Amino acid sequence: MGHDTAEWVFVAIVIAVLCYVGVDSWMVQKEVEDVPADAEVIKVTGQQWFWSFEHADGTKEISTLHVKKGHAYLFEIQSRDVMHSFNIPDWVVFEDAVPGHTNHAWFAPDQVGTYPIQCREYCGLLHYNMRGSLVVEDDNST
Amino acid sequence: MKTLIIAISIITLVAIAIIPQIHFASAQLAQTQSAKQYINLRAEVWNEFFRMTTAAFTVGAIVSGTMIWLVWRFRESNPKNKAPTKWEHLEDPTAGSYEEEGH
Amino acid sequence: MVLELQKPRPVWQIMFSTHHTDVGYLYLVFGIVFLFMGGVLAMIIRTHLFFPGQGVLVSDSATFNRIFTVHGLTMLFLFALPVANGIGNILVPIMVRYKDMAYPKLNAIAFWMNPVGAALLWLGFADTSWVSYAPYSVIRAPGPAADMFIFGMKILGISSILSSINFVVTIMKCKHPDLSLRRVPLFAWSMLTVSLMTIIAMPTYAAALIMMLTDRLGLSGFFNPFAGGDPIAYLHLFWFTFHPEVYIFLLPAIGMMYEIIPRFSRKPLYSQASGVFAFVMLGIIGFASWGHHMYSTGMDFTTKVVFMIGTLAAVPASGMHVFNFLATMWGGRIRFAAPMKFAVGGIALFFSAGAGGVLNSAMPLDFISHGTYWVVGHMHLFLIGTIGFGFVAMIYYMFPYITGRMYNEKWASAHFVLMFWGTVQTFFTQHLLGLEGMPRRVYDYPTEFTSWTQLNQISTIGAWMIGASFAIFLASLIYYSAKGKYANMDDPWGLGGKYYYPVAAKNPHGGHSGY
Repeated sequence: MGHDTAEWVFVAIVIAVLCYVGVDSWMVQKEVEDVPADAEVIKVTGQQWFWSFEHADGTKEISTLHVKKGHAYLFEIQSRDVMHSFNIPDWVVFEDAVPGHTNHAWFAPDQVGTYPIQCREYCGLLHYNMRGSLVVEDDNST
Repeated sequence: MKTLIIAISIITLVAIAIIPQIHFASAQLAQTQSAKQYINLRAEVWNEFFRMTTAAFTVGAIVSGTMIWLVWRFRESNPKNKAPTKWEHLEDPTAGSYEEEGH
Repeated sequence: MVLELQKPRPVWQIMFSTHHTDVGYLYLVFGIVFLFMGGVLAMIIRTHLFFPGQGVLVSDSATFNRIFTVHGLTMLFLFALPVANGIGNILVPIMVRYKDMAYPKLNAIAFWMNPVGAALLWLGFADTSWVSYAPYSVIRAPGPAADMFIFGMKILGISSILSSINFVVTIMKCKHPDLSLRRVPLFAWSMLTVSLMTIIAMPTYAAALIMMLTDRLGLSGFFNPFAGGDPIAYLHLFWFTFHPEVYIFLLPAIGMMYEIIPRFSRKPLYSQASGVFAFVMLGIIGFASWGHHMYSTGMDFTTKVVFMIGTLAAVPASGMHVFNFLATMWGGRIRFAAPMKFAVGGIALFFSAGAGGVLNSAMPLDFISHGTYWVVGHMHLFLIGTIGFGFVAMIYYMFPYITGRMYNEKWASAHFVLMFWGTVQTFFTQHLLGLEGMPRRVYDYPTEFTSWTQLNQISTIGAWMIGASFAIFLASLIYYSAKGKYANMDDPWGLGGKYYYPVAAKNPHGGHSGY
């Protein structure tokens, strides 16, 4: 093996791994960004230092969000003051709330339970305590 | 030795590249079977995460394994390393070069 | 090289000197002082997080927010940049065989702006977090602190642009005509690359700071959504500067490892050309990846893909450095003196941090990792694992040349073991903490998640080990520079062979003659 060959082989392997990473994450991202057409819209508003929610039927909630199992929900995330980041770690829901913008995230819970909601972008004094909870309930209507 | 390491790493990498595609094919098949089924977002993302960590730890095992072996084999206290290397006959061993560089 | 402590001069002679080694010492001392000041803040943060819900050491979140902000600013701008500049100042003119830096007075001015900037940052003690995202920093960040932060950063930015201009001119124009650019040692190449990067990247942030200042004064509304502005614009300007800045912090440490590893392997470097190529590649590609800090701000799919490719493109070049180091060690006869230990430890952690970085760049994983302790662990692995280890290695390496005495190898080993173990324990654990979903920059966290508490405590114990290792470092720096054994200046580590620098450098102040 020549002097440079080893290095070229190494670089080629690295590039192959990176191509794999790139292609794989491209495919997954494409898949998870595809919002189901029948997703119900929930408006999420972040402000210092709590979350408020507005359901499609006009019901408003503060800090605690109730959703039904087996439905898809699309969050329209806004902020009233500084940047926040809407995050439900257990459901991999994460998108910044940027004042002046509306960002989107979606999920379709398939498990009943109570899950923490938190802010993941530094937003001042009580950032650490900008927490809420998500309650996934059984869908009784069906 | 070196060829073996490289061969094993290429095989492993090809393997970890192919396995997730099988997963995807089966996931896609499962999708078409029931229309009302939403994709499981968190499963998709976490599966991606575990595939990526598998790749990272595989490469990591190769690199850090090589490194530990290098440190063990080429430490000066290793009995195999008693004799000075050919570069140490130079006044400054680091001033030499493998490369024929034009001045 | 001036043997300061063997033939002491009055301290004002060093302070008012414009000679490159003197300015280099000032930078080094300044950087090391702030390393320990920032380190104390880090210890406060970690100790505080050991006891959730009890408010140990820091009893209100306002103070905590200020502490982590100033910790970040101190470590990045008052430790990492000054130490790189200090060692660059000492070595670069020697490496390009010139009598001094190209503009000695500019060099001294660039240094003396640092204490002013440092004073503004520390007296202001802002709470914006080091990224100071708009609109928080514009509409909510309190009082003179945030304005002092803006002016402090402004001054530090100008200082780094001035010293970068100086490095570029020194290397490009004052290089000895017999020395072709491709044979310039790789540490000087790293300084050249980062200086060019600073000159390109820094003005953007300088502009963003001015815009932020006028926004705060109510004169404009660039980043203020309530005055028609857009906070995303600030994020773009900020990360356009500070993603390349990551490489600006990193590359000098890599350059230092390029100095140390061939020497202690008693072997020539595997490939000068690939080192140069990888530096230049990183310097260029470093500008193509700033958007990966902003995946979650509502970026569209195509933009994400572009920035993901830009990020991944930087990896082969980093990999070439690792390959170059390992191939240099291959077939050598390695003496694991302190500088080599730290350099090899640094490579291992550089690789781990880089592997984590590849995971970060994958778009979907941003949902999991962004804004959590994963990111904290990742970037500290770079900052301590690579930059810290590289700098500590270089400081041990320069120790006999600066003081004329030898540090104690046993204490240096203790430092290494504690620091390496502590770094792994602290920051690998923080990766797991991030996967558990713990957000970064939090004053407190709920105790109901027991895994958060446990992982935080493991991480804090690691941080205490790092703290202890640096206490050893400080004590041995002070003690052995006064009381250490005299070093054999021909060959301090008994490697055999002669070194062409730093010992052989011309010494205008007298000092040690005969080389």
